[in-house]
Amino acid sequence: MTSNEIYYSRPIPILTILLVALAVHGPLLLMQLPSGSFDTNFHIFLASHYAHHWFNPWNEKWFAGFSQTTYPPLTHQWIALFSTVTGLKLGYMLVQLIGVLLLPVGVFRFARIWVDDRAASYAALGSIFLGALSFLVYEAGQLATVTSAALYLNALPYFYEWATESSGRALIKGVVLSLTAAAAHHVTLIFGVVFFAGPVFWIACLDARYEHRERSLAGVITRALVFVVLVGIGVGIVLFPYWVTLIQHPIHQIPIPHDSRNNFLLNSITGVNYFLIPYGAMILALPFIFLRGSASPRLRPLLVGFWLSLIFGLGGTTPLPRWLLGRAYEILTFERFTLWATLLAMPIVGLLAVQLLDRYRTKAAVGLAIASVVTIGAALAWITANPYRPAETMDVNPVISFLNRDGHDSYRYLTLGFGSQLAEVSTYTNASSVDGDYNSARLLPEMTQYGSAQLTNAKFYGTAGMASLRAMLEHANRYGLKYIFVHDSYYEPLLTFAGWRQIESFDHGEITAWSKDDVPPAHRIETDAVPPAWMGLLWGTLPVGVSVLAMFLELLLPGRRRARRIIETPVRITDRESHYVA
Amino acid sequence: MRRLLPIILVAVTVLLMVIGLTSVGRSGGTVGIASGSALPGFSSNANTPEQALSNFLIDVQRRNWDRAFASVERTNDSVNEQSFIQEWTGTNGGLRTFSSLESYDARPLHATDSEAQMRVRLHWSTPVGPMEDVRDFHLVHRADQWKVVWDEVPVPNVPSQVIPVNYLRWDLVQGGAGEQWGSNNVDSPHVRIVSMNAVDSAEGAVVMGEIVNEDTIPAFVNVQATLVDAAGSAIDDESSFDKILHVLLPKQVSPYRIDFPKVSLGKVKNVHIDVKATLVPASSDPVIGVMNQKLDTDAQGRAVLHGELLNQSGETVNVPHVIASFYDNNGKVVWVSDGYVQRALLPQESEAFAVEIPKSLAGKVQNFHVVVNQYSMHNS
Repeated sequence: MTSNEIYYSRPIPILTILLVALAVHGPLLLMQLPSGSFDTNFHIFLASHYAHHWFNPWNEKWFAGFSQTTYPPLTHQWIALFSTVTGLKLGYMLVQLIGVLLLPVGVFRFARIWVDDRAASYAALGSIFLGALSFLVYEAGQLATVTSAALYLNALPYFYEWATESSGRALIKGVVLSLTAAAAHHVTLIFGVVFFAGPVFWIACLDARYEHRERSLAGVITRALVFVVLVGIGVGIVLFPYWVTLIQHPIHQIPIPHDSRNNFLLNSITGVNYFLIPYGAMILALPFIFLRGSASPRLRPLLVGFWLSLIFGLGGTTPLPRWLLGRAYEILTFERFTLWATLLAMPIVGLLAVQLLDRYRTKAAVGLAIASVVTIGAALAWITANPYRPAETMDVNPVISFLNRDGHDSYRYLTLGFGSQLAEVSTYTNASSVDGDYNSARLLPEMTQYGSAQLTNAKFYGTAGMASLRAMLEHANRYGLKYIFVHDSYYEPLLTFAGWRQIESFDHGEITAWSKDDVPPAHRIETDAVPPAWMGLLWGTLPVGVSVLAMFLELLLPGRRRARRIIETPVRITDRESHYVA
Repeated sequence: MRRLLPIILVAVTVLLMVIGLTSVGRSGGTVGIASGSALPGFSSNANTPEQALSNFLIDVQRRNWDRAFASVERTNDSVNEQSFIQEWTGTNGGLRTFSSLESYDARPLHATDSEAQMRVRLHWSTPVGPMEDVRDFHLVHRADQWKVVWDEVPVPNVPSQVIPVNYLRWDLVQGGAGEQWGSNNVDSPHVRIVSMNAVDSAEGAVVMGEIVNEDTIPAFVNVQATLVDAAGSAIDDESSFDKILHVLLPKQVSPYRIDFPKVSLGKVKNVHIDVKATLVPASSDPVIGVMNQKLDTDAQGRAVLHGELLNQSGETVNVPHVIASFYDNNGKVVWVSDGYVQRALLPQESEAFAVEIPKSLAGKVQNFHVVVNQYSMHNS
């Protein structure tokens, strides 16, 4: 064996993979590339509230008051903690980097359930370059989704170990990590039960059946149930204020259109945005994923999980998500399912890499490297090329300083045409807005009764959006809404006819400030949605506490070194020869 | 299983996609953004006039101008893509330039094997609210395909000219740099509600009337009304919003209308009207004349007041807004109605307007008064 052959036949050390992840994503995050993404400012806004009011989840700055118990707090609380040293933006980047670094570790550990260490290491390495990951991190800014998925992937091997080997320490660590994942993002955990835990449970049952272990199938099922019940109870407790808020104020708003629910076949740009870019070069591997995933009984659960995520990720291209999700279909966005699909496919992609490297050596390595770089490169280039990109960033400091001076913060304000920078203004001003960037927290009827999201983006929601904005402007006096900042002349005719007058302009006319003279100062809007103090205490301790516990358990209860065994059912020689690569 | 499973998964995926191509899988998206067309092979063929028109309007909706223009049958070579786009996106900063085609309803007027006439109700999303536009399209059958016939649309061309202006203007000298508009230490202008009437409509209660600026200085006015029940509790409070002329010149009268959706007058014991007036700088320019006003019935059988607006000044009015008050034979205001004009009003040019009156009131109307509000980009 030459040194090259030995090199290619060994798994890549996890430390090397982590260093690659750090080398690829570290500079991008240090350059604060996600700053212009859709949701980054939203996460920073929520984090800034925890930085100032850790135990009080009632935030007056959006929707004339809303409860932050409507969104799991873990990532925001960690940003708030880091922000005391680094500031909010860098705190965000640090937490995102931790999520990004946890992901290949999770993929490696998850893939080892299905394939050997070598293929798993390739899967982990490949996950760093996923288009879907870059899309969510740098364009969508879905910090919580990515972090939660990474944590969840790390929890699942413990679930498998507990179910098949009855390991007590795996049970404890698995449950605590799952709770940490839920504290980061509840939706990931809820759907993860079907897409991720379902295949793991299935394989645990298959392993118990085929490998004739001392534990019976019934034992696996019982232990899996114990795990699920413990996680269910734990999530109920850790996110208790969230559930109370949800029961008290269920999401009863008119569905808001989202382009991820479009039919990608009928709309080429959504197809590029939500399919081509997230999958990247993995599209070339789809035939292999289907054929190889079907060929091995051990990979079939994974294939089915992948396929289901793939179909969900296609949004409105197929009717299956609508049929299965019912009303939830109109609330969810579907790009996250594509990330999950790519993560589920990674173990099989790892097998493809093994086959290619075994056969073509350096050529394959170069080809795979190019495919990976092209995939992540295309996703990064798409940030500027895509027509759905967030609006160009503007200097919002004059708006912030206007609101923070001369008692202007005793009135409420609204931004129009600010996109995600609405949250940036809200983070740094003392004034309160009637708008906000989190649909599920809205309670004001002017917003929930129309099929529109943020007022600042009203025009993109057509008649519904403008009707919502109009309703809010009609009730300006009720909410103390005196100041409106406009970064899109589209809204000027409405403001003119409705009785607002331009009073100032900032940044060479890029932003104009409008005011209405007869608006009284804002007063607190009476609502039963304010969480009691004890709930704030729970919210401020349990989610972050469970994440600290997870770290301690990882350090204090090291996992048993797993005996090397072939866990991917060997394929018959005739099958191996068929080489499913094009 | 190893051969069957991928076949099943691929087959089910394809089947689901086929079902998704029907209306089941379609979903509304954002508007006003170029959003791409269907992938090759997935757009419907223009085998029928309805399908051809639908394909055309979807391209217009998605702003796929090249495709939309390529699909039309041009009546002459002078029709170019630029003028085609302008016809849909508007010019001169008019309301149409802010509008997005949101949806449409089409119905055939008549059809033969070689040509068809379709009437389309176009639903536009605009900054000032939804607007409708009815348009007839002529389609012809060419080489197994139906095509929309596109005629040249005449574009108003304002000749070079000098317009003498002689108008009143009131400037406001601010006391100090820190003072804001509206907080000036001067007496408010004297404005008065000259009439008020409350009626029930299909959407709820409506309070309307007229307000006059009795002062010698311009006033910026807002009218707020609160409905009070028998127990003295407020039922609802709303404002005149865009159904009033906010800037009133000295002695000028404006209609106002305040809508209370889902409120019945039966529960209302009292109406409190609150008028806020502030001194503002103002100008009587641009002067817009209202010409040829006439109460009539339109093609759809609706009672309308229509007429023409004539821009007598030398500057473009981007968005004209007409507010009309209608009186019965006792001089009482029985309805206030408003409407926006989609095209910009160019200097010395005129544009048609029409405002609707509820059918039940049309018979009572003996007289009307029209005022014109306006948005001009350089004056905002």
